[in-house]
Amino acid sequence: MGELKHESALAHVSEPANTSISLRELSDRGMIDLRGLASERKFLTAVKGVLGVDLPKQPRTSVAWGDIKILWLSVDQWLILCPRSRATALEAELRDALKSVHSLVVNVSDMRTVIRLEGEGCRETIMKGSSLDLIDSTYAPGCVRRMRFAEIAALLHVVEDTVIDVYVFRSYAQYTWDFLLKAARKGSEVRLFSGGS
Amino acid sequence: MTGSPYRLATGGRRIDRAKSVGFSFDGKDMRGFAGDTLASAAMANGQKIFGRSFKYHRPRGIVGLGSEEMNALIGVGTGARHEPNLRATQIEIHDGLTAVSQNRWPSLTFDIGAINNKMSRFIPGGFYYKTFMWPQSFWKHVYEPFIRRAAGLGKAATERDPDSYEHMHVHADVMVVGGGIAGLAAAEAAAATGAKVLLCDENAQLGGIADLTAGKIGDGCIADAVPAMEARLRALANVHILARTTVVGHFHHNYLMAAERVADHDPALLAQGAPRQRLWKIRAGHVILATGAIERPIAFANNDRPGIMLASAVRAMVERYAVAPGNRGLVFTNNDDAYLTAFALHKAGVQVRVIDTRAAGGDLAARAKADGIEVTFGSSICATEGNLGVTAAKIAPYRSGMGRVVNETRVECDFIAMSGGWNPVLHLWAHNGGKIRFDEQLASYRPNTHGDAITAVGAANGTMTVSDTLSEATAAGEAAAKSVHPKAKSAKVKLPAVEEPKRAALEPIWFAPATGKYNEGNKHFIDFQNDVTAADLELAQREGYESVEHTKRYTTFGMATDQGKTSNINGLGVLAEATGKTIPEIGITTFRPPYTPFSLGSVAGALTKELFLPVRRTPIFRWHVDRGAAFEPVGQWRRAYTYPGAGEDKHAAINREILAVRNKVGLLDASTLGKIEIKGPDAAEFLDRMYTNMFSTLKVGRCRYGLMMNELGFLTDDGVTVRLGDDHFLMHTTSGGADRISAWLEEWLQTEWTQYKVFVTPVTEQWAQFAIAGPRARDVLAKLAPDFDLSNEAFPHMSFKTGKLGPYPVRVYRISFSGELSYEVATPANHGRGLWDEIMEAGAEFGIEPYGTEALHVLRAEKGYIVIGDETDGTTTPIDVGMDGMVSKKKADFIGKRSLEQSYLKGPNRKQLVGLLTEDPNEVLPDGAYAVRVVKDKPPMEMIGQVTSTYMSPTLGRSIAMALIENGRARMGETLSFPQEGGKVVKAKITETVFYDKDGGRMNG
Repeated sequence: MGELKHESALAHVSEPANTSISLRELSDRGMIDLRGLASERKFLTAVKGVLGVDLPKQPRTSVAWGDIKILWLSVDQWLILCPRSRATALEAELRDALKSVHSLVVNVSDMRTVIRLEGEGCRETIMKGSSLDLIDSTYAPGCVRRMRFAEIAALLHVVEDTVIDVYVFRSYAQYTWDFLLKAARKGSEVRLFSGGS
Repeated sequence: MTGSPYRLATGGRRIDRAKSVGFSFDGKDMRGFAGDTLASAAMANGQKIFGRSFKYHRPRGIVGLGSEEMNALIGVGTGARHEPNLRATQIEIHDGLTAVSQNRWPSLTFDIGAINNKMSRFIPGGFYYKTFMWPQSFWKHVYEPFIRRAAGLGKAATERDPDSYEHMHVHADVMVVGGGIAGLAAAEAAAATGAKVLLCDENAQLGGIADLTAGKIGDGCIADAVPAMEARLRALANVHILARTTVVGHFHHNYLMAAERVADHDPALLAQGAPRQRLWKIRAGHVILATGAIERPIAFANNDRPGIMLASAVRAMVERYAVAPGNRGLVFTNNDDAYLTAFALHKAGVQVRVIDTRAAGGDLAARAKADGIEVTFGSSICATEGNLGVTAAKIAPYRSGMGRVVNETRVECDFIAMSGGWNPVLHLWAHNGGKIRFDEQLASYRPNTHGDAITAVGAANGTMTVSDTLSEATAAGEAAAKSVHPKAKSAKVKLPAVEEPKRAALEPIWFAPATGKYNEGNKHFIDFQNDVTAADLELAQREGYESVEHTKRYTTFGMATDQGKTSNINGLGVLAEATGKTIPEIGITTFRPPYTPFSLGSVAGALTKELFLPVRRTPIFRWHVDRGAAFEPVGQWRRAYTYPGAGEDKHAAINREILAVRNKVGLLDASTLGKIEIKGPDAAEFLDRMYTNMFSTLKVGRCRYGLMMNELGFLTDDGVTVRLGDDHFLMHTTSGGADRISAWLEEWLQTEWTQYKVFVTPVTEQWAQFAIAGPRARDVLAKLAPDFDLSNEAFPHMSFKTGKLGPYPVRVYRISFSGELSYEVATPANHGRGLWDEIMEAGAEFGIEPYGTEALHVLRAEKGYIVIGDETDGTTTPIDVGMDGMVSKKKADFIGKRSLEQSYLKGPNRKQLVGLLTEDPNEVLPDGAYAVRVVKDKPPMEMIGQVTSTYMSPTLGRSIAMALIENGRARMGETLSFPQEGGKVVKAKITETVFYDKDGGRMNG
């Protein structure tokens, strides 16, 4: 048998040439789905013991610690981001630490495709497919939000003011990519409330 | 000017005489100026007729100023880019614009359909209802095609639209609709508080009709105030302005939809990547309607001749575009405002005379007389002459309530500017339930109350002076912002000084009496676009259509694409006079979106072609494409249906794939299967409740097939669940059921069984999963360097292993949906393609072939395995499909258990799943074919069941089928009849459902 092969959902696409913002797939990201009860001290302590940081408990927030980011998904669910190379080990560490605590840890590094939008206008590009008011100050860096985007389920993570990661289930990667290529096409830019225009 | 006989030598606020623009109208090359509309440019070229009317094919010209235009519906563009039914008054000309008139044949000046006008006494209101009633069968093939050809609007392009469209969402604290001075003032005040303000206007330029309004703001005319107001707004980062954007609908909770015409005025933008149009979806905290008012026509005899226009439209032609509608005109009015039109014409050197229905006028009338304009009070126009354009009018003394005209004077004229007053634009106010009230002074409706956060200002609110508009709009803008943000700062807007003429009251006139016999060549048009006259409305009353909504549908009054913008109030006035009621007693018809038609392209937005439907692709999708697979949709997934080889048809390919699985080995991409991780101390008990059969007894490392019912006892899903650990399970669902079932599990945990400590996480997409099925499956797996024992003892049917195949991390489940020795191999999705390639390579020496979903279905049908949705239809129980054994008798409770005890689910005559073998082994029953109790010559026949799955089985060399048949299991061996179209009857014998390898030796071996 040959070497272990790895192919992300958008491995075959080329860098878009005709868009007003930058679009690319982030394929080196490990993702672990963590479920547990935020009301259980044992759970929180065990997780912190592994990750080194408290889980975010405020809705739609995230925390970062070293090479780890934790996105709040719901009152009892978090998405832990780490380098892909670390995901398997981290999953095992968490499972071990949570052996006697009601919880569910599962490595979902391949379940979602992450597309990074970067540049002035990335928020408006997403607003062509989402009813969220992304130019509102609510959507500051760190903000996490599940959304309906271009008729599919997606997860939005504001990384910086002009950097946004969109997470979609892997099977929708091509569809989402095609939608974004169209929405971000040069000449179709919309800049909302940009003043002096 | 050559070619532009009606262009005035000077003036024209909107046009740029330095930029000449070439366009064509009905094949004729014309020239206009940048800033012209199609209406103004063509009129400047002498064009009077812009269309033929809907029913009578009467020649029609421009009447309106903007979106209210009802006659001049124009098709723009050629071929795939042709768009019909646009209003000439809103079309901005550009070089190369191609425009054509509609509803005429062969030409505007000579139209065969005009015979309808001569026949008009035979096609009164309600004509369609009266004539095209009988026989019923004629409707589809005779009447409808006839009506569609005769009474028509433009034709849509038949080719695919080459342009792109998109949607855009936006949120605003305050949404201002309309960019006239009311809207600008409201926006400024709202913005001054710091609120986020969105302003939309349907025109290319802001200002509304400020330029057609008399008076002064500060030192300049009203229009001079607009650029400064606009510039101040545009400089603000909390204001967004959208021009050429029509708010087409206003829905609950201040959700609005607006169509922006991005590139229609300048097709060069398309090449630069712009969408042709953009549909805005707007969510606003507070909506301010500054939609202005629309002038109403007057119903006088033959008021539809080309050259008869609204007074405001005539004024705009002169002042905006320097176009004279003619050389000698009449202004026919019941109010002061139309005098401004007389002044504009007089100033431009056009001969004009005012006919005023009132006994006396105000300041403006006095000024007209002082300017030397002839004004005749207490008079009305009672008739007009002229075929392809008005050539003369008859004027008669008039007083309100007068029924008949006795003496008249004929005056030659080539245009008439009419004004019956102004109607506030209430459409958006009323779209989502705003109440309106009749205002006697305006002789029109105005906004009353509204349940949403919405305010109407300016003319839209019936406020008809500039000073009142500015103060009202400013206050409303600030109040709106503060209603959204109570702590917002004060706007502190200083109102400018306003000077404007004092207006005398208008006197409503709903019907100008005519000479001669009523409706004999004397048509008083109310609804120009649908050719509804005052006589039609009166006839409807006489025929008993008392409700205004019934009258509307019977006569088609107000039902055209202009949504009754100019006809509504006039029609109500006619109905009021005909019935002796007041207008409020008549009631009003419903305002419905869209305000003006907008393109289907903008509705679709970006979601066309490859984005028409979100399509889901497995990690192996590109391999399937390269292999030439035919695909089938399974939910949003595209699954490989079969892989035809060169020169092979699908049927042959499917048979080949089936036989490969039966005789050698096949490989199936089963990645779409739903996968849900379920974990917690109560997980086993939870599964016992979700499934009909027992899962708490399942041993770690083993798999079990489960049936799932809903509360009604009907089958809703099935699949294999495996026990990963004491408190940890992985559930497989059907491909289509993955999302639904995980939501279903969550719902029970979150709303009913909150005491359970169970977590549920869908992981469908984490895994690529393949079935290796067939007698050589184990050989293939062995070649892939497994780090676990493949022997039947160590790895029996319905067990699983976690480990590695070479370098690939896998879970391997020994489960079978084909009846063959079968392993389902799961690996993380990103490794999927690599492992797939390895399996194909390893399997080559055993003759491995990929097989698609159709082979999968035949294979399972040969084994009598059900498919949820084929053998079940949402009313099918486990007992119906013969799976009584899987319904636990031991468990205390599970979903659907109680329902199975209901009499009608336990009673006799349920349809039960059986196998069918046709008498002719080569005959394949059609899917869904009905079995009947007794065959008759023709339907109806009593139906006793239907075919649920039917295939030609290459394994058995004959057709097989399954069916749900009344009391099926008691009829074993009976022959049933399945009548087909054309009198043919297919006969088939009832059998067991398992057609192949009944003892399961193959998959257990």
